[in-house]
Amino acid sequence: MIQAVSPSDAEHDSEPHAAAKTVHVRVLRQDAPGQESYWERHAVPYEPNMNVISVLQKIAERSRAEDGRQVAPVAWDCSCLEEVCGSCTMLVNGRTRMACSALVDRLLEESPGEIELRPMSKFPVVRDLKVDRSRLFHALERVKAWVPVDGSYDHGAGPRISPEEQEDAYPLSTCMSCGCCLEACPQYTKIEAVRRDDESEADFEQRRTAAFDRGFIGAHAISQAVLFNGHPTGRMIADERLASLTAAGGIQQCGNAQNCVAVCPKHIPLTRSIARAGRAATVWAIKKLFDR
Amino acid sequence: MAQGRVLVIGGGLAGLAATMRMAELGVAVDLVSLVPVKRSHSVCAQGGINSVNALTRQQGDNEWKHFDDTIYGGDFLQHQPPVKEMADWGPRIIDLMDRLGVPFNRTPEGFRDQRRFGGTLYKRTAFAGATTGQQLLYALDEQVRRYEAEGRVKKWEFWDFLEPVLDDAGRCRGAICQDLVTMKFHAFPADAVILATGGCGLVYGRSTMSMVCTGSAVSRAYQAGAAYGNGEFIQVHPTAIPGADKLRLMSESARGEGGRVWVPRKSQDARDPREIPEAERFYFLEERYPKYGNLVPRDIATREIFDICTTEGLSVEKDRLCVYLDLTHLSREMLDRKLGGILEIYEKFQGVDPRSVPMKIFPAVHYSMGGLWVDYERSANGGMEEGAVRNQQTSIPGLYAIGECDYQYHGANRLGANSLLSCIFSGLFVAPSIVSATGSKPASAESRLFEAALRRQEQRHESLLSKRGGDENPYALHQDLGSLMTRVATVVRRNEQLVAAYGEVCDLEARWRRCSLSDSGNWTNQNVVFTKSLGDMFPIAKLILKGALLRDECRGAHFKPAFSMPGIAATDPVEQRREAEQWCDRFEENTRKWLKSTVARHGADGHPQISYEDIDTSLIPPRPRLYGLVGGDVIEEVWKERGQRQATGVAAKAAVAVGAGV
Amino acid sequence: MNVSDSDQSFFTRHQFLIYRLFSLSGLIPVGAFLVVHLVTNASVLAGPGSFQARVDLIHSLGPLLVPIEWAFIFLPMLFHAAVGFVIIAGGLPNVGSYPYVGNVRYTLQRATGMIAFAFIIWHVIQLHWMGAPLGGGKFDPHHASSSTAVALQPIGVTALYAIGVLSAVFHLANGLWTLGITWGLWTSPAAMRRASWVSVAVGILLGGAGLGALAGMRRVDVEQARVIENRMDEVKRMLEGREPVGGPAVRVPEAAPAVPVSAPNSSEGS
Ligand SMILES: Cc1cc2nc3c(=O)[nH]c(=O)nc-3n(C[C@H](O)[C@H](O)[C@H](O)COP(=O)(O)OP(=O)(O)OC[C@H]3O[C@@H](n4cnc5c(N)ncnc54)[C@H](O)[C@@H]3O)c2cc1C
Ligand code: HEM
Ligand code: SF4
Ligand code: SF4
Ligand code: FES
Repeated sequence: MIQAVSPSDAEHDSEPHAAAKTVHVRVLRQDAPGQESYWERHAVPYEPNMNVISVLQKIAERSRAEDGRQVAPVAWDCSCLEEVCGSCTMLVNGRTRMACSALVDRLLEESPGEIELRPMSKFPVVRDLKVDRSRLFHALERVKAWVPVDGSYDHGAGPRISPEEQEDAYPLSTCMSCGCCLEACPQYTKIEAVRRDDESEADFEQRRTAAFDRGFIGAHAISQAVLFNGHPTGRMIADERLASLTAAGGIQQCGNAQNCVAVCPKHIPLTRSIARAGRAATVWAIKKLFDR
Repeated sequence: MAQGRVLVIGGGLAGLAATMRMAELGVAVDLVSLVPVKRSHSVCAQGGINSVNALTRQQGDNEWKHFDDTIYGGDFLQHQPPVKEMADWGPRIIDLMDRLGVPFNRTPEGFRDQRRFGGTLYKRTAFAGATTGQQLLYALDEQVRRYEAEGRVKKWEFWDFLEPVLDDAGRCRGAICQDLVTMKFHAFPADAVILATGGCGLVYGRSTMSMVCTGSAVSRAYQAGAAYGNGEFIQVHPTAIPGADKLRLMSESARGEGGRVWVPRKSQDARDPREIPEAERFYFLEERYPKYGNLVPRDIATREIFDICTTEGLSVEKDRLCVYLDLTHLSREMLDRKLGGILEIYEKFQGVDPRSVPMKIFPAVHYSMGGLWVDYERSANGGMEEGAVRNQQTSIPGLYAIGECDYQYHGANRLGANSLLSCIFSGLFVAPSIVSATGSKPASAESRLFEAALRRQEQRHESLLSKRGGDENPYALHQDLGSLMTRVATVVRRNEQLVAAYGEVCDLEARWRRCSLSDSGNWTNQNVVFTKSLGDMFPIAKLILKGALLRDECRGAHFKPAFSMPGIAATDPVEQRREAEQWCDRFEENTRKWLKSTVARHGADGHPQISYEDIDTSLIPPRPRLYGLVGGDVIEEVWKERGQRQATGVAAKAAVAVGAGV
Repeated sequence: MNVSDSDQSFFTRHQFLIYRLFSLSGLIPVGAFLVVHLVTNASVLAGPGSFQARVDLIHSLGPLLVPIEWAFIFLPMLFHAAVGFVIIAGGLPNVGSYPYVGNVRYTLQRATGMIAFAFIIWHVIQLHWMGAPLGGGKFDPHHASSSTAVALQPIGVTALYAIGVLSAVFHLANGLWTLGITWGLWTSPAAMRRASWVSVAVGILLGGAGLGALAGMRRVDVEQARVIENRMDEVKRMLEGREPVGGPAVRVPEAAPAVPVSAPNSSEGS
C-alpha cells in the first residue's frame, strides 16, 4: 500500500545514492479560481525513465506532502502521454512544455535538487496545474480553421496536391493546441473573466467571448489560417480568414519575439506562418483599399 | 430538415463523424467528452487507414477482398453484413477525409500515396505522415467546430457520462452527466444517446491507450442493462516501450529493418547489454523460428516474448518485464533514414539513444475488439440497410454505440489500420439511423425519470466523498487490477489462472468499496472521478475474465495453450493426410461449438451472465487460419477438397430436388 | 487584461491599420530621417565646412522647414512613439524564462525605443530652437559644428549621446528586420536569417555613422570652426543680399576647455 516515507526515514538512509532515489518537487497550487496560490513540496521515489506525469501520478497516489501532511492530489490535465494530444502543458522549471515528455533525469540535470511545477500563466487557473484554455480553441473558430466543404455526401476525391504542398502543409497540421506558443509569447496576455453575481450564464459567455475576440489571436491560430488558406478548397474563404486576422487582436499584435517557434513542441514553423500571413494581410489590405 | 436533439458521448473519430453528419442532417447535437474532443485518444493512431483504392483495384483488389481480409483476420467472429458495408464505404470515406483537408502523403503526381499493412497483399493503407489518427481527428474536429460556430452543435468538454436514463419501457431517453470542473450534475434529455467512448485499456493498468480510455462509459451502459459482446478479445501489440506511466507503441518496422530480439541467457544479467558476449545472448525468436526469425507473425512474437519473461523468467529486468530489441548492429545512417521518426519517440521518452543501446520492449494491451453489443439490419445485397433504426443500436432501444466501444467490426482480432475506418464508418452510418429513430419517437420523457437518476448519481457521488477512515487507496488498487489483468488475460490464458483472477477481481472490488478519498472537495476533484471510473472497471474486468474462462478454444487474440490445435507432426504423407483430416474434423467441430459471439449481461448479483449468439457467416464461409502452422499446406489441401465435396453435394441435392419437382 | 464590456474603441476597431502605419512610420519617414540625420552629422568628419554646407542645404528650405519638420519628423515620430508605448504597455517581456535570441531582440526593441524616446526629447530640447525657452536650443544653424561641438563638449553628454544614438540605431536596424516579417518581405526561416545579416550590417554602418558624428564633433576645433562658419555665413548673406547680424549665437562657456583632439584638417577651409 502507500508507503509514506517519513522525513526521518530519509535521513537514516545515508547511502551516497539516497539523494538520487527521491525526487523533490515543488508545486504551485491553487484551490480554485480567484483563490490565493501557494507552494507545496512533495517527494516521490525515483524510478528510471520517469517523466513529470509519473511524478504527478505518484503524488496523487501518496496524497501526502513532503512534510507528511495529508493533502488533496494535485490536479492536472493529461491524456495521450505521447506528446500528441496537447493536454499536459505546464511550466516545468519555469519553462512551458509538455509534462509527458519532460524526463526527470533531464530536468535534474537542468536544475539539480528540485523540480518546479507551475500552471500556465496565460490562462485562468481552474485548479492547481489545470488551466482553462477555451480562448485557444475559440481562436480557431475566429480564423475559421476548417475546409468549407459542401457536406459529407460523396463528391469523389479531394483536390490533387503535390508532394511539396503536402510537405508544407503537414507540419502545420500537427498543431495539437497545447498552447506552449501562447504561454511563451510576450504579446499574449491573460484574459480572465469572472462571472458577476448579477449575470446570467449566457451573458457571461457573451462577455467573455467578446473579450477573447479583442485579445491577441496567437501564433497557433495564425498558423492554422495559413494552413487553410493554402488548401485548394480552404482558400475559397481566404478573405474571411484574412478579415479576422486583421481585426482587433489580429496578426498585427505579434511583436516578432519568435518565442513561439522556439518552444513549440511540434517544431511547427510558426514564424514562417506569421510572415506568410503578414504578407497575405498586406496584399489583402492594399487590395481592399483600392476595391472600395 | 430533421429535428430532435441527440446526445453524443465521446468525441474521438467515431463521435465526431456522427456529430458532423447529424448536424448536417439538421439534428441538434450535444457532444459530451471527458477531454476537449481534439484531445481524444484517436490522435495516437500513427499507421494509417485502410480502403480499396484506384491503384489496388487495378492490381485485382476490390471491396470484397478487403471485406474478406477483415473477416479472415478477425477469425470469422464478426457478423458479416456490417463488415461488408464498411469495406464498401471505404473508398468514399477516404475521399471524404481527403476533401476535408487531411494532408495524406502524396505521390509525385499528386495522388494519395498508400502503404501496405499486415494481413493483406495490397497497398491499401492511406496515411498522413506518422500521425494519421491525429490528422483524421482534426479534420472532423474542424467540421464540428464549424457547426458549433453555427450553433448546431453544443460541446460539453470536461464532462463525464454517468448513466443512461431509461423510461419504464426500458427505452433510453437521455443521460446524466457531470461537469468535471464544478462537479455539478446535469440531465440531458435526448431522442437518442450515442456512445462513442473508445477502448478500455485502463482496465489493464497501463496500455498503449490514453489515460481517458477507462471504459467507464461503456461499463455504465452495461450496468444499466446494455449487453456487451466479445469482451475477452483484447489485442496485444508485441512491441511497446514499457514506461512507468504508459506503454508506448514501438512500430513493427524496427524488426522489419533488421532489429533482433534477445535476452541474456542468465536471468537478470546485470551487465551492460553491449558487454554481454554473443554466446551469452539468447536470440529466442531466431532460434525457435529459424524460417521467420524476428519477423514471426504478431501474435507469435507477442506470445514468445511474454513467455520468455514470465514462464522462463528471463526478463532483462526483475521488476519490469522486458526483452532487448537490438538495432545497434545496424548502421546509424540507415537507421536515421528509415526509422528516424520512431527512434525519436524512444529517445524522447526513454532518454536513451536506441542506435547505440538496445531498446527494452514488451508486449502491451493495444485494442479491445469487444465492446457494447450492437444490432444491424441486413440489406438485400448482404450489407447493412442505410437508415434502419436498428443499426448500431445497443440492446437498450435509443442507446447506440459506435467506434472502438462497439463489438461489431473486428471479431477476434483487428487488422492494422482497420480501426480508424470502422470508427469513421460507424459514425457516419449511424446518423441516418438516428434521424429515422428521432422521427418515430414517443411522447417526451417524464421529468421524474431524470430527477430520480440525478438523485441516484448525487448520492453515489456524496457517499464516495464522505467515506472516511477507509484504508484503501484507489490508485494502488488500480495498479493491482492492472497487473492482475495483464498477467492472466492478455497473451496466454489458462483456466486455473482465470478462475483465481476472477476471485481476486471480486476481492479488489470489495476493497474498492473501502476506498477513502484524499480529496473530499467539490471543485475539479479528479480524485473522486478516478475512483468512480475505477469502480466501473471491475464489471468490465469480470466480463473479460469470465468470457475468457468459458471460451475453451483458441481464436484470434484469445489463446489458450490447453486448447490449441497443433499442426501436423507426421512426416509420412499418408499419415499426414490422416492427421489433416482429423485436424479438419476438429476444426469443424470447434467452429460449430465456438463460432459464436460472447454476449455478457450485467447480473443483479454483479456477475456477468454469459450467453452466446450465432454469427451471420452467410457471405464468407469460415475457413481455418493456417498462417505459420506446421503442415498448414496439407491441411489446406484437405480443407479445399472438403469444400468442393460439400459444394457438389449441395449441387447434387439441389439437382435431386429439382428432379423431384419435375 | 481587464475584461470590460465597453464598446470597442477607435483604437481597437482600426488596430490593424494603425499598427501598419506605425510600422511604416518607423521606416518612412522616421527611419529614413534617422539615416539622413546621422549621415549628415557624420559629415562633420570631413570638417566643419562640409557639415555646415549640408546644414545650409537643409535650412535653405527657409520658412518651409518648420512645417516640413513637423509633418515628416515630429508628428510621425510622436505617432510612432505613442503607438509604441501602447504596444509596450500591452506586452509582457519574459527574457528571464525564455532567453532566446529573438526574445532578447524583442525586449531590446522596446527598451531602445524608450531610451530613444527619452533621448530624442532631451536632444531636441538641448539643441533645437524650440528648446530655447527651456534653456536649450543651443544649435545655431549658421554655426552648425561649433555650436554642436560646444554643446557636446562634456564627456557625460557625449556618453549619453552615444547611448541614445546607438539605441536609435539598434531600434531601426532590428526594426527593419521585424518590419520585413510584419509586411511579409521575408517569410522562410532562411530568408529571415539572411535578413538578419542585412539588418546587422545596416546597424553597424549606421552605428558607425552615429558614433563617427559624435567623435567628429568632439574633434572640432571650435575657434577654427567658427572662423570657417562665419566666412560661409558671410558668403551666404552676400548671395542673399542680407545684412550681417552682429555676434554669433554661440556662447562659449568660459570653463569649457577648447581642446581639439587632433589638428584641424587642412582641407577644411575649402
Ligand atoms: C498507439 C495506438 C496506435 C493506433 N494506430 C492505429 C492505426 O494506425 N490505424 C488504426 O486503424 N487504428 C489504430 N489504433 C486504434 C484506434 O486509434 C482507435 O481504435 C480509435 O482511435 C478509437 O476511436 P474512437 O472514436 O472509438 O474513440 P476515442 O478516440 O478513444 O475517443 C473516445 C472519446 O470518448 C470520450 N469518453 C470516454 N469516456 C467518457 C465518459 N465517461 N464520459 C464522457 N466522455 C467519455 C473521450 O473523451 C473521447 O472523446 C491505434 C491505437 C493506439 C492505442
Ligand atoms: C529613432 C526613432 C525611431 C525609429 C527610426 C523607429 C523605427 C522603428 C521601426 C522601423 C520599427 C519596426 C516596425 C515593425 O516591426 O513593423 C519600430 C518598431 C517599434 N518602435 Fe520604433 N522607431 C523610433 C522610435 C521609437 C520610439 C520613440 C518608440 C517609443 C517608445 C518606439 C517604439 C517602438 C516599438 C515598441 C516597436 C516594436 C513594435 C512591434 O514590433 O510590435 N520607436 N520602430
Ligand atoms: S513571434 Fe509573435 S506570436 Fe510568436 S512569440 Fe513572438 S510575438 Fe508571440
Ligand atoms: S503551434 Fe505548437 S506550441 Fe502552439 S499550440 Fe500548436 S503545437 Fe502547441
Ligand atoms: S498527455 Fe498528451 S501531450 Fe502530454
